Amino acid sequence: MASFEDLSKQVITGNQVKVKEVTQALIDEGSAPLDIINLGLIAGMNIVGSRFKNGEMFVPEVLMAAKSMSAGIEIVKPLIADKDMPSIGKVLLGTVKGDLHDIGKNLVGMMLESGGFTVINMGIDISPEQFIKAVKEHNPDILAMSALLTTTMLHMKDTIELLKEEGLHNKVKVIVGGAPISQDFADEVGADGFAPDAASAVDLCKKLLS
Amino acid sequence: MTTRSNYKAYASTMMNVFSPAQCQELVYAAEEAMWRTGTDFHDKESLEILKKAGCWVDGKRVRIPAHITERALQTCQKHIVLCNSRTGARELFVEGNNAYFGSGPCTPFTRNPFTNERHRATRQSVGWATKVLDALPNIDYAMSLGIVQDVPLLISDRHEFEQQILNTDKPIITVCVDQWGQEDCIKMAEIVAGGEEELRRNPFICLYAEPISPGVHCREAAQKLVMGAKKGLPTIYTPCIMAGGTAPATMAGVMVQGLCESLSGLVLSQCTREGAPFIMGGVYTILDMGSTIFSYGAPELHLLLAGLADVAHYLNIPMFGTAGCTDSCIIDEQAGIEAALSIAMTNMSGANLNHDTGYSEYGTTSNLDLVVIADEILGMARRLTKGIKVDEETLALDVIEKVGPGGRFGEEEHTKKHMEENYVPRLINRAAREIFEKAGGKTLTQVANEKVRDIINYHEPAPLPKDVAAKIREIVENAVGHMPGEDE
Repeated sequence: MASFEDLSKQVITGNQVKVKEVTQALIDEGSAPLDIINLGLIAGMNIVGSRFKNGEMFVPEVLMAAKSMSAGIEIVKPLIADKDMPSIGKVLLGTVKGDLHDIGKNLVGMMLESGGFTVINMGIDISPEQFIKAVKEHNPDILAMSALLTTTMLHMKDTIELLKEEGLHNKVKVIVGGAPISQDFADEVGADGFAPDAASAVDLCKKLLS
Repeated sequence: MTTRSNYKAYASTMMNVFSPAQCQELVYAAEEAMWRTGTDFHDKESLEILKKAGCWVDGKRVRIPAHITERALQTCQKHIVLCNSRTGARELFVEGNNAYFGSGPCTPFTRNPFTNERHRATRQSVGWATKVLDALPNIDYAMSLGIVQDVPLLISDRHEFEQQILNTDKPIITVCVDQWGQEDCIKMAEIVAGGEEELRRNPFICLYAEPISPGVHCREAAQKLVMGAKKGLPTIYTPCIMAGGTAPATMAGVMVQGLCESLSGLVLSQCTREGAPFIMGGVYTILDMGSTIFSYGAPELHLLLAGLADVAHYLNIPMFGTAGCTDSCIIDEQAGIEAALSIAMTNMSGANLNHDTGYSEYGTTSNLDLVVIADEILGMARRLTKGIKVDEETLALDVIEKVGPGGRFGEEEHTKKHMEENYVPRLINRAAREIFEKAGGKTLTQVANEKVRDIINYHEPAPLPKDVAAKIREIVENAVGHMPGEDE
């Protein structure tokens, strides 16, 4: 008989095939779909998260685990009403205008997804106007902006100013990151938060929404 | 006594990561990736240049036929010399197995040597850093060790260059924020050299650009390359790639990805102006899978760049390497280990122009104490590569015979004559314990920091003529910044 523990274990090892098998078996055996997600899939991912923090697991393993968790969720999803789907929050993510660097931003996106967030990754070279348009369209809980250059990081302030002009700054939390960004800079431009790396960005988002 | 037949008898310290056959395989693989996969150029002018040259242009994607790459490898200038900015003296021969070392650019942060505070780099911090680089005998050229941030950020590069040229006569590698910044910095350099022709004849600046891995040449980088080629000034193109992040996890895969990006830049430079001096750069390292940092201290960094030096020698093109840096946030034992390993290995590999000495905190914070320590490591590393000479004089059989069992070598003329071949440390401590303790029992970092302060307080770089300094000031004051992404 399939068990939630077994499902968690398969998520931890990042075995997509097994995760799908066990998820299907649990459904067939009559387990509640939400329990499959919360007690099996997400429970496994939570262990992955803490192992990563302790230095016992590494980025590729975390990403494989997240991928296998998503594969399981895809199977359960049709059985749950959209409004009941567990998600900690929605994050809109992008690299600012004039900047094509995105490895760090993509790592943040993947770690957030692993942590249970819904992530809309807009890509690179995103202007303040594009960010605002997407905020209106997707209604995210958090807007996350990335920059690698001291020249492009100036666009973060422009975006926050435009959010204020549009009266959206109370509806969405803004976080910023990238090599030249610091807490002081985040405060100066009026962001709600800054995280020095991808893992702590997940903690930051959780803290901001708690 | 003996007759010596070939170089093997005389050569001493040697190191290779790749055999010539492996170098060939890597270059062919890069040529294949440049054609099969291609790279993206986000710059209209570059796309036109490459298309005209016969490359296959599909939107932003450019696929370069192997024969164009091979022609570019033939036409680029191999003999590159960097000069003294005050005298025009030809000082750094960036070629063959010559290895030169200097600092790195663009750290957002720096550590103040007087207060130990970590803060954003300023005009003053770059001025201080340049002074320290100027004073140290084993440092061959200057990069800024910080982005000046107490001025309007879009013109920070002009302020950086001004601080550099005021505080050193050593060659300067200038990293500009965009093509407009580079244009201004070249103008300033031409003023110092006495004109465009004079600068080209005896260049004391070297330009710098980098692609965004994997395989993206942004507009600023492409424009800087094109301008460098048109001006005939040495230009470095440096992919900063990380295994498992922006390149395959395998070291050979990293080599292919990096070479593909570098050689694509070379092709753009040669298609812009045949014969343009081009320096193949590289910071090839790993994405640390625990912390997600771009590692400046990983053994793979040293290994990959020593490997790249082999490929550069195989292709007979100058190379820009990386050494003397650390992931450590402070200058501690880890910093010493990482800086020493990288410098020793890079020096043995024969990479030509090596940067990032003084980088701490995985490249985000410059630290002058580390620069001074690296200067000492460089002295030791250069002693290592000098190797051991084996001939009749050095085998010293006559001296051994003369002194005999129980005798004293210290009194021999032979000893006096050859003693100087050994390295004399200036920072490393070999004192007896009592003497060490009497002198305050200081750590290496403490002694290095004292030296940094001493240089900043008392060292006087060769001055720039007042009228020249005034003209440079004028360019800085009139500089116009361009917001990224708003001049398309």
